[in-house]
Amino acid sequence: MAFTLYSLLQAALLCVNAIAVLHEERFLKNIGWGTDQGIGGFGEEPGIKSQLTNLIRSVRTVMRGKKKNEWNTLKF
Amino acid sequence: MPASKRRIPVSPPGMADPHQLFDDTSSAQSRGFGAQRGPGGLGYPAAAASPQEAFLADPVSNMAMAYGSSLAAQGKELVDKNIDRFIPVTKLKYYFAVDTMYVGKKLGLLFFPYLHQDWEVQYQQDTPVAPRFDINAPDLYIPAMAFITYILVAGLALGTQDRFSPDLLGLQASSALAWLTLEVLAILLSLYLLTVNTDLTTIDLVAFLGYKYVGMIGGVLMGLLFGKVGYYLVLGWCCVSIFVFMIRTLRLKILAEAAAQGVPVRGARNQLRMYLTMAVAAAQPLLMYWLTFHLVR
Repeated sequence: MAFTLYSLLQAALLCVNAIAVLHEERFLKNIGWGTDQGIGGFGEEPGIKSQLTNLIRSVRTVMRGKKKNEWNTLKF
Repeated sequence: MPASKRRIPVSPPGMADPHQLFDDTSSAQSRGFGAQRGPGGLGYPAAAASPQEAFLADPVSNMAMAYGSSLAAQGKELVDKNIDRFIPVTKLKYYFAVDTMYVGKKLGLLFFPYLHQDWEVQYQQDTPVAPRFDINAPDLYIPAMAFITYILVAGLALGTQDRFSPDLLGLQASSALAWLTLEVLAILLSLYLLTVNTDLTTIDLVAFLGYKYVGMIGGVLMGLLFGKVGYYLVLGWCCVSIFVFMIRTLRLKILAEAAAQGVPVRGARNQLRMYLTMAVAAAQPLLMYWLTFHLVR
């Protein structure tokens, strides 16, 4: 059966990586999950789609670390 | 011997009390030792002292021991201060505040939840009452004990079929824990996506999801005694009981507003929450079967 904690850790890592590598412009905008598309609506409670979009954006922000415009000037 | 009882260090080192851990250095004996040592200061006494005593009588090793014990005390303080950041110890204590009557009644409720009327947790000035005083409160004692018992019973079952090996126990434990973690993560994700405002904490969730181990133990034990028929009967009964138990408990947490009014759920929002409750409750019997069927042949 071998569904161990380690395989869970592997799966979680791969999922987080998958979320982090989704390309903003090529992919998410095309299916309407871009970060600047219609988040508004303070009145009614957010639906599932906006919650998912927020989640994806949060995961990507946390995984980024450095600011986006610093990626070209990485110093080691 | 009166000399050792009075702790007057008049006896020569070779005859010292073996139970005494530290030499009494506040006396003439140490001065005697100091005189015996050369100007080097670190030399051992010329007399044939037992090596343990010589080591402990050495002032440098005394200092080292004092330093070591102060380091240990500092480390302990540090751990005590910071443990609360990683493991919420005070919150965990609430979940283990149980007594025998609570455990007995809760086990009865897990096997037969059909007659229980009031599932609401009582509050006492904004904090939930300890499990000792309210049978509806979740606790971590039963799930923890049930998990350990499940591992042991799995080992027993494997042993009676000549399939036992020690690493299989670790594999069973790891597998059950992995499924529990996956369940908790999936439910937390669903609660976030459906923006459910609930006071259901993660530890509460772990407690509720841990109650299924009780049914699993019952099923496997019956399977060991009475074969597959007994296993399926008892497991079926426990599955239905856990299903009802979870629905009645989670309904009050997830569907708080609708349940309070007692009306059947309507509207898209409440419907989704009802689906979530049903899905969580339905996952319990499935997992109970999945984690035990390979143990009973």
